[in-house]
Order: sequence, then structure tokens, then C-alpha cells
Amino acid sequence: MSEASRREVRAGLEPSLARLWRYAVVLSRARDAADDLVQATCLRAIERADQFVPGTRVDRWLFAILRSIWLNEIRSQRIRQGGGLVDAADALTTDGEREIEVNITASAVLRAVGRLPEAQRETILLVYSEGYSYAEAAAALGVPIGTIMSRLAAGRAALAKLK
Amino acid sequence: MTADDAELVALIDNELDEGSRAALLTRLGADERLRQRYEELRETASPLATSFDALLGQAPVARLRAALPPDEPLRQRSRRFPGIALRALAAGVVIGLLVAGAVAWAASIFGLLGGKEDWRTAIAEYTHLYTNETFSPFNPDAAMQAAELSAVGAKVGASLAPENVALPGLRFTTAFMLSYGDAPLGVIAYVDPSGAPVLLCILANRAPDAPTRSERRGDLSLAWWSRSGRTQLVIGRIPEEKAIALAQMLEKRV
Repeated sequence: MSEASRREVRAGLEPSLARLWRYAVVLSRARDAADDLVQATCLRAIERADQFVPGTRVDRWLFAILRSIWLNEIRSQRIRQGGGLVDAADALTTDGEREIEVNITASAVLRAVGRLPEAQRETILLVYSEGYSYAEAAAALGVPIGTIMSRLAAGRAALAKLK
Repeated sequence: MTADDAELVALIDNELDEGSRAALLTRLGADERLRQRYEELRETASPLATSFDALLGQAPVARLRAALPPDEPLRQRSRRFPGIALRALAAGVVIGLLVAGAVAWAASIFGLLGGKEDWRTAIAEYTHLYTNETFSPFNPDAAMQAAELSAVGAKVGASLAPENVALPGLRFTTAFMLSYGDAPLGVIAYVDPSGAPVLLCILANRAPDAPTRSERRGDLSLAWWSRSGRTQLVIGRIPEEKAIALAQMLEKRV
């Protein structure tokens, strides 16, 4: 492992924690799972820092690790345990104590997002909140651009019905 | 969702190519219902961004930060020992297991051995460090498996892919690089259903071709053969016959 890779990964962890957690909540729809997922991602990133190419984006590398751990380890475990994946849309809400108008709206939108299939939730987050282009999202998720387009359209069509 | 939604959303997101964009704009100019749908979809952009921002504000950053492992600079221990040395840490398991201190122990043992001929002794000593918990947590997807194997294969001069190293009753967990003396040493780690590790080690030592041989070392069985300038070794807490059978399977494929 090069010291440069290690330093860059290490420096990128802390600024990415909140966004990693948000990605984890959007994927898992369970806040306890999100905490575990972020912690596992950070550990894995430190362990595999030698695979990080210095000068590239640490945050996106971390996102890829988080997604891989979710798909390969935690999701299947939660399915086996029968928890976390159904009726969990309420994990995607905002803080109930601050129900100013924006948060009421945000809660409604997030609940609607929470009811979407995982692939749509994830694609919407990456493109509309994390700034992935369609091509970048397609590469990150391993699907054609047409699939990205249809996932985004389905998600936005569902949100349009909230009006 | 309508048939046009995907293109409308791509237009809103400025992701349509020029030809499709021009065609859709022409249609929008002539179709009021399409324009209405465009507006409905366009109005979802801002609430989405705002909502995700609100979620970001709820991240338990302090708790997550407190859970980060301490930042320890890398130690350059490997140069001090003439036996097995860390060459490239291609898998997290190596770091977790070795950097924590086992590397110092293992490397000092191997240093005492002289590091010239008896690489099987070195590997056996090394394998004694592994437990049923060492590799079990690793469950890479197909792409990660292929990437790890490809990286190790490139170092030892072998063509390694998930399909040609797959073994019955064993699950691939990780592949990583070590070195023995100056020779690259690739390690492919499997586990059986109980988590017990079985390793395929590939040493690029320019050895002449030799058929499979085997031996027992304590509770470990070893089976090895040489071909194309590489010596391959199967090792694990398995019956000697099983090690030989695995070696013969791999001999035809690796």
C-alpha cells in the first residue's frame, strides 16, 4: 500500500461520512443498518487503500465500496433475518421536531422516495443529489444509460403524483 | 409514467444528445399535453434536492466520526526481513491480519529460516496464523473476484479468473500478493463451509516442471507441483488426499 493512497483515503473519510450515511439510508431504508454500513465502508476503505488511485475521487470510491458491501453482505443478511427491507419507508423522513414547511415537504418527498424500488432510489440520489451524470451513474451501477433514464423517469413520475 | 417521461426527464436534466433534444423540442412546441407533462416532471427537481439535503443534515456525524479507526501511518517493516515480505497488500484481510502485528512475528520466523529453499515451511508457518474467522467475512462479487485474480495473475505471470480457480466445496474469498525472497508469491484464499481456510499459493520461482507431490506438516496437508516457471501449492487443514485432489484439479487449469 502506498502511503500517498493511504493518506488520501484517510483524509477523504471524514468529509464523506454524512453523504455515505445518506446513501446508506437510501439503500437500506433502516438507520441502524446505515450506521453499520458506513462503519464497514470506512474499515474496508482503510484496508484496501492500496487499491485507491491517488488523484481520483475518494468520495466516489467510498460510494462504490459502500454499495458493494450493501449488495454482497448486509442486504442478503437482512433478508435472511427477515428485517429492514419491508415497511421501512419511514426511515426516509426528516426530523419531526422541526416541522417547518420545508421539512413537511421534504418528509413527504422522502417518504415517496422510500416507497420506490431500491434501484430507483439509488439512481435518484446519485444523479440529483450527488451530481453523477447519467453516464457516470450508468458506470457506477453497471447498467446501460437507458436504464438510468427509465429509473429517473419512474421516480420523478411517482413524485409528480404527490402534487 | 408515460412513454415520453424518460426523454422528458433527460431533457430537463440536460442529458439528451443534440438530435433527440431538437426532435423533442419540436414535439413540445406542437403538443400541449406533452408540455404539461414536461412541467409536471420539471417541478419535481427542486423538492428532491431539498429533501435529500434535509436528510443529510440528520446524519449522526459525531457518532460515525467516533467510530473511525485511529489513523496510524504505515510501517515499512517488510524490508527488515529476508523471508516472506509484504509486496503489495491487495486485499484488506492482509492488512487486518498482518499489519496488526502478525507480520512482525511471521517475518521474523521466516528471517530465521534463511529464506532460500524451504518456501513450503514459510507458507506452512504463515498458514498457522489463519483461523476460521480470517477469510470468512470476505464475499466479493464476481467483478471484484475477477479484478483481484487478474491483479495477482499479472504479478505471477498466470492467467487467473474465477472460473479456472473455482474449487468444489470451497468458496473464493480473496486473492493477494506476498513475496518470498525476490519471487512474487500470489495467494488465493478459499474457505470451506465451516470457514476453514484453504490456500492456493503461486510462486513465480522459475522452477523446472515437476509433478504433484504432497506431505503433512502438523495438522496441515500440502500438495504442490511446478509448471511454466511457477510452483503451485495447495495447503490447508484438510486430508492429504484432498489436497492432492485439489492440486490435480488446478494443475489442469492454472
